[in-house]
Amino acid sequence: MTALALQMPDRRRLLAMSIPFLAVVGSMVIGLLLIAASGKSVPDSIEAFLDGAFGTAFAFGASINRAVSLSLIGLGFILAARANLTNVGGEGQIAVGGIAATALALWPPIAGLPLGLAVILPLLAGTLAGAFWGGIAGVMKVRFGTNEVISTLLLGFVALLMVYWCVQSTALLRQPQTSSSTLPESLPIPDSTKLAGLTDDPESPLHIGLILCLVLALATAIVLQRSTFGLRLRAIGLNELAARRAGMPGSILLVVALGIAGAFGGLTGAIMLQGEQFYLKAGFSSGYGFDGLVVGLLSRGSTLGVLAGALFFGFLRSGGISMEIMAGVPSALTLVIQGLIVIAVAGSVILVEKLQGGQR
Amino acid sequence: MEETLAIFIASTLRLAMPLMLAASGELVSERAGVLNLSLEGMMLTAAFFGALGSWATGNPYLGVACAVGAALCVAAVQAWLSVNLRANQLVVGIGFNILALGATTLLYRIIFGGLSREEIPGLPKLAVPGLIDLPFAGTAFFQQSVIVYFGFALILLIWWTLNQTSFGLAVRAVGDEPRSADKAGIPVARTRWLAVLITGAMAGMAGAFISIADIHTFTENMTNGAGYLALAAVIFGGWNVGRTIAACLLFGAATALQFQLPAMGINVPTAFLLMLPYLLALLAVAGVVGRLDPPTALTLPFQRGK
Repeated sequence: MTALALQMPDRRRLLAMSIPFLAVVGSMVIGLLLIAASGKSVPDSIEAFLDGAFGTAFAFGASINRAVSLSLIGLGFILAARANLTNVGGEGQIAVGGIAATALALWPPIAGLPLGLAVILPLLAGTLAGAFWGGIAGVMKVRFGTNEVISTLLLGFVALLMVYWCVQSTALLRQPQTSSSTLPESLPIPDSTKLAGLTDDPESPLHIGLILCLVLALATAIVLQRSTFGLRLRAIGLNELAARRAGMPGSILLVVALGIAGAFGGLTGAIMLQGEQFYLKAGFSSGYGFDGLVVGLLSRGSTLGVLAGALFFGFLRSGGISMEIMAGVPSALTLVIQGLIVIAVAGSVILVEKLQGGQR
Repeated sequence: MEETLAIFIASTLRLAMPLMLAASGELVSERAGVLNLSLEGMMLTAAFFGALGSWATGNPYLGVACAVGAALCVAAVQAWLSVNLRANQLVVGIGFNILALGATTLLYRIIFGGLSREEIPGLPKLAVPGLIDLPFAGTAFFQQSVIVYFGFALILLIWWTLNQTSFGLAVRAVGDEPRSADKAGIPVARTRWLAVLITGAMAGMAGAFISIADIHTFTENMTNGAGYLALAAVIFGGWNVGRTIAACLLFGAATALQFQLPAMGINVPTAFLLMLPYLLALLAVAGVVGRLDPPTALTLPFQRGK
């Protein structure tokens, strides 16, 4: 797609690139109309939205943290998408990552480890668990020809129920049941396994996950644009048969691509746990996987696009929650906006192709 | 024991019913080559507008009509996007599911306000004279709301249409060999459109069953993944009506067991039973339960001359 984009005349290219932007603006306008239609004050809602997204150090940090999670899922998504693979299992990969990170962080020997290992090992465990989960879908694809959309989706549901299982059973990760009112959650993880904060402000939840995310974004961009591996992914994605004939290890590449996408998801789960939530509970992935998928889709394969989309959705969600609390507008409104954006962008693909096709 | 069994059968049927309705509808569309990941969203939309219609008019049958109408609207947009605009069916489906969750929650909060769980006029249960006295299954099968009997009739109709009519043949042709079908004069786009609309109508019935016949109210995200489970049933059933219905019953039974086993003193983790349908579907797509043969052109848009 980028190769084609370079050959397009500027005006058409601009039009093609502006479609996600138009979809976003159009959907936000519909959102504002819905607020007006529901009889709530539009200016108040906007004020509440901005306040919740940027207003305080806490709001700003929470939005950025959300954006970090969405970026990581989105980055994994575009990596696999380069090989023409659609990873729908972000939600489940977050879940297994969270389980693995919790299990390791709560294992007594870990908390006392020096040199930051107490933080790094759970992160690594989460990443590996996610890679394994994504890898299963990869193996199913090359071994049985199973469409990865179906397998990652099903694996996602299994993983979500695994979290539920883990926190329901004291034999697994549930905290010791001292009374009948003990919640089905894990124990909180020790302080030494938590991610360090980025600022001195105790109000700000901002943590070093942001730096990790930016480093990984840069790495992804380099891998996709400058490495042999990135080139091979693209070759497999464009024409699997031709790539195999050219001597590329097609099966391994596909498994690795889905494994990496899963690793990003698992890492996200570990970061969400060690950075913000600090204990495991059912539904702790709370839709980040699907939001991240949307971010990946809208980016059209660009790393910068992922970061921009993640920031947008990070602030959108935080602002939406504040709108509900302060202006009484249900935060479900942000879901409406998000759904409309996805549908509009998906529906306009043919238009983009027409704009690009003129030069082919 | 007999009573436990009767309860088990009844709750299996109750839990499987929306799955059977949605899955049999989705089957038609998938046989025509269109995958509706939006099934979940269609059902949720239908459940909401069914509840709204029933509440506003006081007539549950009009509620069912509203549910089907609303799901048909979603299906029409889905058909337009996936048939005419050749959009990625998976992406569109995910978009619809997000939109449906957001829109129904939003409208519910605006119309019903807060978290009040207004009871809506539900469908009455109809006892079939004579059959209801059968041992074990009598009350389970023959004291159900009208929608259940009607639903079974619709499912039979779908089986008959797919396997015994020229329309069914056309559906299978455009799903397997759209190019050849087109050359043979079968209108590919129109056939796919109709197939998606059938999915919409059945998803509408499924949503109506959940809100109007079963729960008698609307709650946020009340379908809670039933649409995905129905999709899994279609896969597990190998795109065959009978086997898909069997898969739905199996999934329903697995879910029903979570209430039954503890009552019988058997301790199986609930999570495992809830997971079972997805695990079975995974095994099915991995080809463990025999080679699966999905429609060749599933999710592939058709464009003449390309």
